Amino acid sequence: MYRQKKDKYFKEILERNKHKIYRICNIYAVPPIEAQDLFQEVVFQVWKSLNSFKSKSSIDTWVYKIAINVCLRSKMKLDKNYCKTDRLESIHFTPIENEIDAYGQEKIKYLKECISTLNETDTSLIVLYLDDLSYKEIAIITGLSENHIAVKMKRVRKKLFECITPKIN
Amino acid sequence: MFEQELKDIWNNSSKAGQISIETNQLTEELNTKINSIQKRIRSRDIREISASVIGILLFGYLLFEIPFPITKVACGLAIVWFVFVILKFRKSKLQNTKTDFSLSVTEQLNSQKEIMLQQSILLDSALYWYAIPPFIMNFIFILGLENPINFNWTNSVAESLLPLSPNLKIITLTGLALFYAFTFWVNKRALKKDIKPTIESIENMLQQIKKQ
Repeated sequence: MYRQKKDKYFKEILERNKHKIYRICNIYAVPPIEAQDLFQEVVFQVWKSLNSFKSKSSIDTWVYKIAINVCLRSKMKLDKNYCKTDRLESIHFTPIENEIDAYGQEKIKYLKECISTLNETDTSLIVLYLDDLSYKEIAIITGLSENHIAVKMKRVRKKLFECITPKIN
Repeated sequence: MFEQELKDIWNNSSKAGQISIETNQLTEELNTKINSIQKRIRSRDIREISASVIGILLFGYLLFEIPFPITKVACGLAIVWFVFVILKFRKSKLQNTKTDFSLSVTEQLNSQKEIMLQQSILLDSALYWYAIPPFIMNFIFILGLENPINFNWTNSVAESLLPLSPNLKIITLTGLALFYAFTFWVNKRALKKDIKPTIESIENMLQQIKKQ
């Protein structure tokens, strides 16, 4: 892939997927690793692997695969290089005050709490589901069959709803 | 609580902060990062191989210089062992660097498990390929050292460095035994503290994902 074409393509992918990537990283980040560290690792892996993308799935599904794999690897402590000193200067995270009201923030907190009660693989399923991915896309990302996903999702969703409903109500 | 409400909460979770990316600078930074990683890998490879190359040169020189037949055999064996270690490290490294993040989660976990199992075999067998063979070679080397006068051999540097007296031979062999025992312990510890828990964690995730 030519350099300029690759750069342009990469920028488009990143712009379209940055919030999705960040949401996933935010769920998997456990101190001392921060969401920012995971986010930039995902960005780095997307950049590194872009030449080998084979169009078997959509590019966005492929980005999800990379994000989930990077996050699961961090859980297994397979990569110990998410170091704060290596932070990329070109990526900035700025908190926005008053963008979400206190009640909205509370709901986000509850959702995160409830997701954290799930195991790692159920977490990956639920974050993909919450991002509105179809079972077919989730199956491509996880490597499981659609039927398997459907059965698992029923159980995981029930667990999540049972946790969050009393908190929000 | 409706599904859509839950999805809205989820989507709002990334609105608490703004992610701004200076893309032109980012591609430059990412290229620099790739280059620096490649540089680090190259210098690590050079470091690991250079230790064996120094060993080959040293024992090659001793093979040529020392007149004692048993020690000569030990030098030859040592050179073969150093070549074997270089090949073993290179093979292991080639297998370990193949991390493909674009695989599906299940494939990625299976591939990681395979890599970790290979690492585990490498560390678990370190006694048989990394500790015992060089110790035996050192043992033969030291045992083969004889009185230089009997061979009309004079080399002041080698004579000052080699343990020619029985007492020095015992001290050197004891030191070497302790060193290789320590190497073995370090490998076993790495296996127990790092590799085995990681394999367990991967197996656990694989079970979780397969379970309905």
